[in-house]
Amino acid sequence: MPLGVDGSAADGEARCASVISVIAKHDVLVVGAGCAGMRAAIEAYDAGADVAMISKLHPTRSHSGAAEGGINAALGNAAEDNAEIHAYDTVKGSDYLGDQDAIEVFAEEAPGDIIQLENWGAFFSRREDGKLAQRPFGAAGSPRTVYAADITGHVLIQVLWEQVCKRDIPVYEEFFAWQLVEHEDRCQGVICWDLLHGGLKTVGGKTVVLATGGAGRQYRVTTNAYACTGDGMAMALHAGLPLKDMEFMQFHPTTLYPTGILLTEGIRGEGGYLINKDGERFMKHYAPNALELASRDVVSRSEQTEIDEGRGIEGSVLLDMRHLGAERIIERLPGSRELSMVYAGIDPIYDPVPVRPGAHYHMGGIETDNDGATEMTGLYAAGECACVSIHGANRLGGNSLMETITFGRRAGRSAAEWALSHTTVEVPESAERDAEARLRDLLDREGGERPWKLRDELGSSMLENFAVFRREEQMARQIEIIEGLRERYPNVYVEDKGEVFNSDLTQAIELGNMLDTALCMVTAGLVRKESRGAHARPHDYPTRDDENFLHHSITRWKDGGVELTKSEVRFTKWEPQERTY
Amino acid sequence: MQVGLKIWRYDSATGDRALREYEIEAPEEATLLDCLDIVKDRHDGTLAYRKSCRMMICGSCGMRMDGAAVLACKTRMYDIAQEGRVPVISAMGNLPIVKDLVVDMDPFWSKFKAMWPWLEPGYDRPDDGREYRISQERMNVVHKEALCINCGCCVSECNAMESDPEFLGPQALAKGMRFVGDPRDGATVERLERYNREHGIWDCTRCYFCNERCPKGVDPRDAIAKLGAESIRLGIDRDMGAKHAKWFVRSAETTGWLREEELIPKTQGYVSAIKQLKFGASLARHGKVRPVPIPHVARDVDEARNLRKVVQEQDRAGALGIVQGERALARLAHGGGSESLEEIYARPGSAPRPFLPGEGSAEGQGSLTQADVTPGKEPTRKRGEA
Amino acid sequence: MSTTEPAVKRVAYYKGCLASLSAKELDSSTKALAPMVGLELVELESVTCCGAGDIHEAEPDYYLHLNARILAYAEATGCDMLMTVCNVCTLNLRQANFMLQGDEELLARVNENLATVGVPAYSGKVDVRHFLWEIAEGEGYEALKQVAHRGLKGLKVAPFYGCQILRPSKLMGFEDPDRPWSLERIIEACGGEAIDYPAKVKCCGFPIIAAREETALGEVIQPIEQAIEAGADVMVTPCPLCHLSLDAWQQKLEASTGRAFKMPVLHLAQLVGVAAGLEEAELKFKRHIVDPRPALERLEV
Repeated sequence: MPLGVDGSAADGEARCASVISVIAKHDVLVVGAGCAGMRAAIEAYDAGADVAMISKLHPTRSHSGAAEGGINAALGNAAEDNAEIHAYDTVKGSDYLGDQDAIEVFAEEAPGDIIQLENWGAFFSRREDGKLAQRPFGAAGSPRTVYAADITGHVLIQVLWEQVCKRDIPVYEEFFAWQLVEHEDRCQGVICWDLLHGGLKTVGGKTVVLATGGAGRQYRVTTNAYACTGDGMAMALHAGLPLKDMEFMQFHPTTLYPTGILLTEGIRGEGGYLINKDGERFMKHYAPNALELASRDVVSRSEQTEIDEGRGIEGSVLLDMRHLGAERIIERLPGSRELSMVYAGIDPIYDPVPVRPGAHYHMGGIETDNDGATEMTGLYAAGECACVSIHGANRLGGNSLMETITFGRRAGRSAAEWALSHTTVEVPESAERDAEARLRDLLDREGGERPWKLRDELGSSMLENFAVFRREEQMARQIEIIEGLRERYPNVYVEDKGEVFNSDLTQAIELGNMLDTALCMVTAGLVRKESRGAHARPHDYPTRDDENFLHHSITRWKDGGVELTKSEVRFTKWEPQERTY
Repeated sequence: MQVGLKIWRYDSATGDRALREYEIEAPEEATLLDCLDIVKDRHDGTLAYRKSCRMMICGSCGMRMDGAAVLACKTRMYDIAQEGRVPVISAMGNLPIVKDLVVDMDPFWSKFKAMWPWLEPGYDRPDDGREYRISQERMNVVHKEALCINCGCCVSECNAMESDPEFLGPQALAKGMRFVGDPRDGATVERLERYNREHGIWDCTRCYFCNERCPKGVDPRDAIAKLGAESIRLGIDRDMGAKHAKWFVRSAETTGWLREEELIPKTQGYVSAIKQLKFGASLARHGKVRPVPIPHVARDVDEARNLRKVVQEQDRAGALGIVQGERALARLAHGGGSESLEEIYARPGSAPRPFLPGEGSAEGQGSLTQADVTPGKEPTRKRGEA
Repeated sequence: MSTTEPAVKRVAYYKGCLASLSAKELDSSTKALAPMVGLELVELESVTCCGAGDIHEAEPDYYLHLNARILAYAEATGCDMLMTVCNVCTLNLRQANFMLQGDEELLARVNENLATVGVPAYSGKVDVRHFLWEIAEGEGYEALKQVAHRGLKGLKVAPFYGCQILRPSKLMGFEDPDRPWSLERIIEACGGEAIDYPAKVKCCGFPIIAAREETALGEVIQPIEQAIEAGADVMVTPCPLCHLSLDAWQQKLEASTGRAFKMPVLHLAQLVGVAAGLEEAELKFKRHIVDPRPALERLEV
């Protein structure tokens, strides 16, 4: 195919991209190869299943690797601690929306999971006595965040990838998962676009575990990688599955200005201050006990208030580490220092760094039980794309990495156990023809709008209308905006008509996924007339309303739009209390 | 700001290639990756490149700028744009190109996997079912190697790999050292035996391109040196490269100066060295070697001899000899403790920070159209080819 | 002809192993040239091989101590600069120097060991610089321009930097490792024409030329071929190991490719020495495997 001016084929004919083949069948298919996906695959393998992973990136490129500050478990190395305190901190952090039975399981099993990772060779930071070090993190009653300087995610990705290599688990790498295969009331595989070589390819699986992460790219200012576009959540949504608590999007308080790149909570854990333009440590007004280490939603709101009330600098506040000294910064926070220097041109040893809240983590996601099973037989989910719910309305720092491991493991095992007790897997032709038609539709379009326009409009409008503080009129407007974008989406065209590494195509698909999941988020947010956790409505509903809204929101896709219902929060020990830090 | 880029487009199926120039408008804080996004979104949607985190941790966006491998997301464009420079962007070297700036990483990952890149626990597991007890200092023996994000920038520039494509390479060997130096790993000897084979440790040509290009400060060349040190410490030293290295040690402690004339027989063995007779004779004819080597002994060589005995009794054997210097050398990159960067650099003999594009003398001459930069064209000639 | 005498700078001189034996021509040229560019060389005798990459790899603690000893003896001469004429020596000594200057504990430990064997202590005040850097800028460069009165008469010279005078740049730091200029500047100051080609900053293969000859030859062929293609008459290099690769091993390339390259390679001091009118007794071109004299005579240089 001769290279035309824009790389398109000279003849413009439909090419063999449309030939689909079921290229393999496995017991367990894990979609997504970050911490949750790799941990699930490892467990499925160890349970005796024939497992394979599908990932649109090489596994070590997954966004779990960008996590910095640490991973929580009640090891009790730094101070007295136990699973009950960890569970309580998590329940309170969730603003009482988290499912307490799941949280208890989580806090109970976390220590064993961390030890296992360490025994596998994870490179964690150490205490004087040689045990795993644990640092203080937001809203934690005891310092329990195990860490590796400030590159914890990187270390976890490396050890998990090593264990995947040890087991020689096959990875369908740079395969973009597009559509779930549902047949005879079971999920039986995934239809993918082979990004590297081209072509629609179906992989059959007796069970499928979705571990595809979040969708931070819906927002213009986000810590998330380009790849975080909510593909798994969208696939589940389109297959009729419920998404739970979608309105709860965590804004991380310390993202660099202007890029949104993450600066870890660990900086505050090491003693860093947040100051406004007057040099004041403003957190004393909002969280007099915990100060900078209050829960993330509290800190983000505090910062946003300072900024909105004119005490910020260029839409940001300042993160000040100078008093920690060069030695400590270089030893414990070298990654953060490098990020500041490269992306903000500031050396935190000498100057404070401008930071502001940025979209960071989806508390909500695909509804699962405590073993990662979804409503659809054979379909499981774990990690950020799932909602068990551990995090309720707000997540504690360090809990999401732990969730990927604990629930990745549980989902992997339960998927493997189910798969090993069933024998058949079948992919009907109709599913494949469906996907082929969608592909042709996208590729054959000439002229229209380029995806970046809609992507930018989504990103800016979400940041304006559905960020830290939410208002009725803005949310209503945002729903209209998203609907408008969804109307324009069928006219988006892909310039690259080629087969090999057509990321133009995959980026267009990702845009569609973001639009649909965003609609779920804002629809649920508008209806929740209270302030809870990360959903803050200080202008109309400033307090929590346990009487009317102590439930999860459930959004489903029905007739091309969002259907909203609710589900119960599961309580065990803790009654909702007033939440202060 | 206005940014100009020349990008090598390449289709591996047809072999078509073209150097396309793009002029774009980008924000001042834009990185090379941001500029590629602008090109792809608004000018040419067919441009292919990898990206993900945009914060120097995932390792996706390795590519060459003016023939030198960089992470696109780490490369700020402001200075380059101010200078009016139009850099040439091409795919990383030493790996087959799939399309444009996307390379086939299979050879890279298969070398990675050839290193046994997972912990092989020994027999001394913690008996309380908890974590191993290890000091931070002991773990820090491999803390640089653990920084590696598998981006491929080192591999792209490796001179030895260019000449011998089967060389395991800086990335794989650094990963190997990460395990050799991990106290929890019980397979040190087996690993070193494997890494000492052909295309392993001793293939490294010490060009230091890997150290220079690595965006994370891994210093793969030093990791390879650590592997060599551990190998020799443990008596795994049958490779000619190890023998070569040991002859330098022997020379230093006997005559002080290198016993050059005996270097080849000591490295290759006296039998093989016979094959080099004609070569040796030509050197002898020009006085470069003498027919009968008379040791050229440096003054006070007994000090050097005794020095070796003294240090051998101390606990800095093997890789620790390199690790002990890391704290000081890191200060060159970090700018030191309480001193400001300016103060450090004002010290006599101190080095400026690694060069960024746009710094250094404007008189520099560089070749922008290196053979190695042009995709699909045969890389610089290998031995034996006319 | 200018008669201004350059101010004399006293420097400790570490010639390294090759300049002591197989590359004696480098030592003789340097010693003859140095006073002409205002350098008084105080040659260090109580020294050893710097270890090259080999001792750094085989016994790195010993490598550190050997180089600390060289630095200590350099400091003992009262000079604040140690001058080298080899890429590898320069990297090794500078690296050891930074290790000692940047870590008080390490310096104390090394000094204690040095004292045990009778070597004076090192306090970290010596700067290690290659002769190349001395004459590429500043007073040395001015002096160079004055002495190069014979000139190279348009001789086309392909500079070969090699690796370790440029990288790692955080240790070497004299010039941009991808866009170096020092050799070109010197060539032009001597009346020659600097030839540009991509492999001038790549590896000559010397570290593995004995243990992995085939791989090394695949490296050494690149600069030679490219220099010829670019029309060079001769090459120049600041490193005697690179010189050995390019000059002595060139015949092996001819054996494997069937091509007679016949590309002469000069040491830096020789190139400047030719422009300054040094005699064969000092330049010792007869020691080269590929004789540079025909190329030089052709231009009546």
